[in-house]
Amino acid sequence: MALTTQGRTRLARSGVIGGLVLGAIFAAGPILWMLSSSFKSNTEIFELPPRLITDSFSFDAYTAILTNSETLRFFFNSYLVAGAVTILTLLVAIHAAYAFSRFEFRGKRVLNVVIVSVQAVPPITLLIPYFGLVVGLGLYNTYPGLILTYMVFTLPYAIIMMTGYMNTLPKELDEAVRVDGAGSLTALWRVLIPISVPGIVSVGIYTFMIAWNEYLFALTLTRTTEMRTVPIGIQLLMGQHSYEWNQIMAMSILGSIPVLILFLLLQRYFISGLTAGSVKS
Amino acid sequence: MSLRTFTAPDPETLVKGSRPSTKRRQLRRAGESYGFLAPTLLLLLVLMIVPIVMVIGYSFQDNVILKSSSEFTGIANYVTVLTDPGFWKATGNTLYFSVISVAAHLVLGLTFAMLLNSRLISAPSRAFFRALYVLPWLFTAAVIAVLWRMLLSPNGIVNFMLDTDVEWLASPQLALGTVTFINIWAGYPFFMVSLLAGLQGIPQDLHEAASIDGAGPVQRFWNVTIPQLRPIIVSLLLLDLIWTSQQFALIWLTTGGGPIDVTEMLSTYTYKLAFANYDFSLAATAAVLVLLLSMVLAVLYVRHQKARD
Amino acid sequence: MPTHRRMRNRAVLFTGLVTAAASVVALTGCGSSSGSESADGNVTIEFAQWWEPELPDGEFRAMIDKFEEANPEVTVELVSGPYASTKEQLFAGAASGTMPDVVGLDGAWVSDFAEQGVIADLTPLLDEAGFDDSQLVSQVQVEDKTYMVPVVNFVYPMFTNDDLLSQAGVTAPPETRTEFADAAKKVSDLDGDASGWVLPLSLEAPNGVQNDVMSWAWASGGSMLKDGQPDLTNDDVTSAVDFIGGLWDDGVIAPGSFTMKEQDKVEEFTNGRVGMMIDSLAHINLIRETNPDLNFSISAVPAEDGYSGERGIPYASWGIGVAENSEHKEAAAKLVSFLMSEETNSELSTMANAFPGNTGSVPAFVEDDDLFKKAFDIYQAGYPANEFVGLPVAEELMRQLGAQLQAALDGQQSLTEALEKAQTEWEGEF
Repeated sequence: MALTTQGRTRLARSGVIGGLVLGAIFAAGPILWMLSSSFKSNTEIFELPPRLITDSFSFDAYTAILTNSETLRFFFNSYLVAGAVTILTLLVAIHAAYAFSRFEFRGKRVLNVVIVSVQAVPPITLLIPYFGLVVGLGLYNTYPGLILTYMVFTLPYAIIMMTGYMNTLPKELDEAVRVDGAGSLTALWRVLIPISVPGIVSVGIYTFMIAWNEYLFALTLTRTTEMRTVPIGIQLLMGQHSYEWNQIMAMSILGSIPVLILFLLLQRYFISGLTAGSVKS
Repeated sequence: MSLRTFTAPDPETLVKGSRPSTKRRQLRRAGESYGFLAPTLLLLLVLMIVPIVMVIGYSFQDNVILKSSSEFTGIANYVTVLTDPGFWKATGNTLYFSVISVAAHLVLGLTFAMLLNSRLISAPSRAFFRALYVLPWLFTAAVIAVLWRMLLSPNGIVNFMLDTDVEWLASPQLALGTVTFINIWAGYPFFMVSLLAGLQGIPQDLHEAASIDGAGPVQRFWNVTIPQLRPIIVSLLLLDLIWTSQQFALIWLTTGGGPIDVTEMLSTYTYKLAFANYDFSLAATAAVLVLLLSMVLAVLYVRHQKARD
Repeated sequence: MPTHRRMRNRAVLFTGLVTAAASVVALTGCGSSSGSESADGNVTIEFAQWWEPELPDGEFRAMIDKFEEANPEVTVELVSGPYASTKEQLFAGAASGTMPDVVGLDGAWVSDFAEQGVIADLTPLLDEAGFDDSQLVSQVQVEDKTYMVPVVNFVYPMFTNDDLLSQAGVTAPPETRTEFADAAKKVSDLDGDASGWVLPLSLEAPNGVQNDVMSWAWASGGSMLKDGQPDLTNDDVTSAVDFIGGLWDDGVIAPGSFTMKEQDKVEEFTNGRVGMMIDSLAHINLIRETNPDLNFSISAVPAEDGYSGERGIPYASWGIGVAENSEHKEAAAKLVSFLMSEETNSELSTMANAFPGNTGSVPAFVEDDDLFKKAFDIYQAGYPANEFVGLPVAEELMRQLGAQLQAALDGQQSLTEALEKAQTEWEGEF
């Protein structure tokens, strides 16, 4: 009994939906528990049998975070730093990736090896010499100190990924513009960048996440409460003797919402089929 | 300027170029390349290469950092680290942890990206699932560790739902598998989002052409999708391998390298040398060894890049 | 080709701009500096600690404000961070010569910082500040010099869940090891999932080895050292570890030991899932707040059967020290004297639910809270015992012993072998 085309499509669709639902339980299940814990009291988080919604359901943990001016400052700092890092890293990395993807030049392979392998040194061992360097440059406890640090950590990633994306795009596209008499920069900005938007967005989001979530250097390179970031704020809730479990969860949720919104806003770049269309011509 | 105009010239002349002064052009282009790379190189030189060189320097001395009496000791530190069974145990664990994590990241990331890219379901549901699937990405390692410690504790929700009382993290037999699982969960969105972006770059006509040639969905996947994504996949594998082998916070905050030494990684091993033993020379030595290992990876990657051209 | 040249120029210009922007960004950071002296002789000192976030909002700052009122020429900048990362922060600061003037210390770090020469000998400093150090409960010394003064102490008595014990037919908290093993067994045998005892052996925060393992040896007057050298294979330690091994084999210890931390231990107890635990007094209020229905009491850690001597009671301290490279040691010493003074110290120990570091101080809670009063009696009847304080790489010692014990409890080696191996490892560190 052969399936009709319609039947096959329906079967495929149920397969896709089934797969998506299973995957969603794996992906979002733990986060659901986190969300539920953020509304509980600290005892209920550990009670047995566990319940998703408990008697003392409340927004207390959120109120505690949102009414604390110190914590709000952490959020501000994190946005500022992660935002600046994302923009600057993308700007710098796109140009570097362009060079790697489209040009042949002496030293290219060596530079590539260097850029790939510098990120392999465990950051924890760099901490001490790095700290000395940042103090020496007068960047200790400043935004530029954090921003430049995160750029150094995100650049290799961004360059490697952007080079990868640009390599998937046909060389003929930008070569054509250059041969037309325009310069390399025009080719990059007018041709490559517009069709690399999905790649740029995904690299940008990840760069943002790296900067947003970094803890060790944020703590070491800042001193005053006014300079500290969200991951430090979360860690401050994990005290020497006890944890503020529900506030830890609430603060993490609060931190993730804006990024999630950003992702939702930008995801049209993943689905528009914009590049596919333009490459096709 | 519209995109359409770029298609005009004949591809043959484009690739070969028709100008006589090739040499001068190459020189100019080398200069241009370095112009594009200048900001990157400046930043990396000052803020990355300098500290790395300092770390390499420490690895050849003893009593570094705080004591003023540091002495050049040649390769003594390397001998110490390389003859420490703890180092090899950590290397083995790190390999297991990284290879399994990266393989699972690729499989899950690609599967989810394909599912999310499927045109069989409506755009709004795809958007909804996309949002759910990136969730593990949005949290800092310390929180992921705390969350999974709660979920997996002997009295936690996972044991409750499975009706078991397994010590997922505290059992020497299971701990390494468990931390690997947590890392898989925390890391696949990186592959998923990057591949999702990569899928958008695959020209639709390639699929159409393959369909006309009678290729089914499976053949199209292997013959069109995978080859088209290869440059991205290679970059992802390389980055993820390097990052996973450095994963520190997740392991330290869930198991601390224990029970006994079953989840000891190179990262926790190095951390303990630096901040529990205060032996910064040995920590630097371990770091340099990790750097050397990944330079091998980097060379392979660059070779691959070149072979591709 | 004018277009080409223009483009090239533009490329160079752009690159230049980015580079310049980066440099400007870099330069704007200059000018920030730490602890300094202004023209009129006023000084600013930094005080790095993890205490401020642990105390009720604003209370510690208010206390420091009082110090500034009394010493108008000194300004104190509080540098507060999470406890778990304080050690790394101090180490990084010490390495680059920017360690804050006054630092909060844990007894486990003192020896290492002292040996590296980054914290100062306090005796002459306190002398100059006119502080009489005979009022100090204790001083932590390395090679006969005082490097840390415990500001407040958190003692670790035994907590018992009275409801669970009475359900199990145990009428009074156990006083000897035999009684304890018996009570633990009875609680574990109850219907439900309660265990008799809880033993956190996490290797990330290995202080369970100090508070929950070694405390058994100290409670019976035992020691893990001999003439300042490791002596893990002596009878005191062996019998304590064997006792724990017996509890483990009886299955009365709550599951998850090998990755459990102090915070998890408290959650288990607070939720009524363990009958007994050895824990910090600092948790009394936390347990009361999170589970007001829990009936619990406090007693001394049980001793070996027939032991009648004084019982050592483990403690953890918030200690204080002064950076060797501080340019304002005089002001720093003033701050230390202030915190150690009878009145301030009473106040601080009240805030922290801890016992004072000044012999004359009496925290308010001792008078109006029965549990704390009981604890204070236990404290005064015994002696504070924490042999890890002041040892080199103390945390690593705990971790090494912890890992060996885990291997033994997991059945990979005997407890005797575990102690012998840990002894060898320790000897390598001293």
